[in-house]
Amino acid sequence: MRRLVCVWLTGFASISMAEVPVPEGTFENSACLECHQQQSAELVAAWQQSVHAATETLASCVDCHGKSHGKAAARARRDGTCVDCHGGADSPVNHSYTTSKHGILVRLEQDEWDWNRPLEQANYRAPGCAYCHMHKGNHNVSAGVRIWNAMDGIDTAERERVQGAMRAVCQECHSPRYITRLFDNGERMLDIGRMKVHEAAAVIEQAAGEFTGAELVAAREYFVRMQSLHLKNVYLGIGHQSPDYQWWHGQPALDGDLLRIKGAVGELHRLPARGNSKDGE
Amino acid sequence: MSRKHVRYVWVPIIIALIAVPAGFYYVDWSKSGEGAGLYSRQWLPDAVFAYWNPDDFYESTDLVAGEFEGEQCIACHEAVTPGIVKDWQASRHATPGNGKATVYCSDCHGNNHQALHLPAPDVCGACHATQHAQFEDEKRYGFPSHALAMERALDAKHFVDKPKAEVTACLQCHSVASKCDSCHSRHRFNAAEARRPEACITCHSGPPHPDDETYYASAHGQLYLAEGKEWDWSKPLRKGNYKGPTCAYCHMDDGKHQVADKSMWKFGIKEINPLTSGNEVKREQWVALCSDCHEADWSRQQLVGLDAERKQAWKKLYSAEAILKDLRSNDLLYPAANERPPYPTDWLDSLWPRARVGFFEGQASAFYNVSPIERDYFEMWYFDNLGAYKGAAHGDQEAVRRGHAAMERDLAAIEEEASRLQGLADAEQQAQRQRPDAAKLWKSGDYTDFNREQN
Repeated sequence: MRRLVCVWLTGFASISMAEVPVPEGTFENSACLECHQQQSAELVAAWQQSVHAATETLASCVDCHGKSHGKAAARARRDGTCVDCHGGADSPVNHSYTTSKHGILVRLEQDEWDWNRPLEQANYRAPGCAYCHMHKGNHNVSAGVRIWNAMDGIDTAERERVQGAMRAVCQECHSPRYITRLFDNGERMLDIGRMKVHEAAAVIEQAAGEFTGAELVAAREYFVRMQSLHLKNVYLGIGHQSPDYQWWHGQPALDGDLLRIKGAVGELHRLPARGNSKDGE
Repeated sequence: MSRKHVRYVWVPIIIALIAVPAGFYYVDWSKSGEGAGLYSRQWLPDAVFAYWNPDDFYESTDLVAGEFEGEQCIACHEAVTPGIVKDWQASRHATPGNGKATVYCSDCHGNNHQALHLPAPDVCGACHATQHAQFEDEKRYGFPSHALAMERALDAKHFVDKPKAEVTACLQCHSVASKCDSCHSRHRFNAAEARRPEACITCHSGPPHPDDETYYASAHGQLYLAEGKEWDWSKPLRKGNYKGPTCAYCHMDDGKHQVADKSMWKFGIKEINPLTSGNEVKREQWVALCSDCHEADWSRQQLVGLDAERKQAWKKLYSAEAILKDLRSNDLLYPAANERPPYPTDWLDSLWPRARVGFFEGQASAFYNVSPIERDYFEMWYFDNLGAYKGAAHGDQEAVRRGHAAMERDLAAIEEEASRLQGLADAEQQAQRQRPDAAKLWKSGDYTDFNREQN
């Protein structure tokens, strides 16, 4: 029986569920892993490489698939599986996607789709979370996602790995030239956002030599917002193709942070005790 | 008139004969650069603009040579890009019925694979003539409108000034003027999809136009969220077909592809007189539309309520503008206008630097490289004010309350900052200390340098 289960699970992406009997009952994560490690080692290994397998961000088999086998794959393929752990519906990571054209098509049409179909060959009119991030059932969700790093750019090898994984998904609907241009544009857009962060960092660094930590609290708070919120919004806007996140939640928000940092530091220069001798020259 | 005075007639005629053609020539010349629009000579397009503004920037791929008929396109693209073929197969273009001919790829994109084009609205208009004519008619009503969206984006000073990869998203939304699939996603081009509010929210969301949030939170939106799934979206947007209104039901009533003709307050970024005779006509158009469900007097009252909300908002905004203009007059803005990068694309600004305050001075493009207090006003005006306006227009009273509370906080913060700036200047004057030059801090840096050199 266990063997039969494993055979089914190994091929669940391509074999219709109706044809193979599935075991009844509920399973804990350890039981899933024990069986799948033997019979679908590749799938487990992919999951283990991903951020989902890390202790602090653990998303186990049962978290996404539920504890029983019936419709376990179809259930996990839907966006609802991902939303709660990724900050809820209003978090930038979700909202940037759900307001994109892909996101609205999924929202409008998902109840009419047959979610038993594998995540490939444009089997779905528009891609949900899993369609892109677990394309062809690849359980390494990190395959098409760069490690988020606000300050530094991405190295060429990492860029090729990430873009290669995503290109395979996009090209099922979009032309290679369109994909390349969007990718390149996205890199440039993110670089520009990063320039604003670097400019702010240089202003704060310079000011740190002249003023106390307490005097720079406001500037540093804006800087944290730049890195952890507004630049990340640009990044999410590019990845999820949300013009609203690229722009309103992103670039002009960074402009606001940058000018407020300059404003805060500029005002310190006008303090009676120091500024004049240093800046008047 | 004596003979001697004839020259008073000739001089202006001659000046006009020279100036008018010269003006036309200048505009033509300024539009003939590598970019597009009035400032086309000042910027180069990013490669991806080809897809958002195909009329100006798209050039066919030359990967495949040959001329193809529709069935051949399908046969190859079924393997190459299965998604778009499946989408087309499910569309009415593939099975139009009523004895109409199938609309193939080549009918819109052309047959020659080395001279393909992305269909602009006029291509769709060849068959959908009524909708295209309605869409074009928007131009009579000016901006904001879908039909003028691209033109106005290209001519916006901050679009021209900023690095082009940064402002790509502008064109992505403003491409609603350049292609019909902004609302009818390719390659299904479904009318039912465009009737639903979600078709609008990719662009109509975010701080300056929270149309999505304010609609969903309204009684209309709540009804849609609760029951919309069960409504028959194949029906036209007409009385009796829908239990509650959606974006398109009100703004494109009866399926008319014209969102600008009933618009009074427009985007809410400047004050208007809501009681002009023209606006009285528009008001009655709204009342007639609302009468699908509501009594005329009740609807009129709602519009009066909107006017009252706007009046309150503008009172607050003008108070803030007055503070900023005072600061400018008294040279209290810091950095001063000549200590920051010049106002976008304005050569006059480098000769005569001037801070911009409010709509009529073009502050909509001056949200960067400005002092924090000017940015505070920009956010009050562009975000909090517009949030309140959209709340009032869409029937989300909580958004109105939130927006006005935020504007009051903004105004208080602007007042406080203004008196701080005054205090700093007073202290400097008393100590006979010169205000430090802010130019070094404001005119250089990674992004600022890049922005100056690349746009």
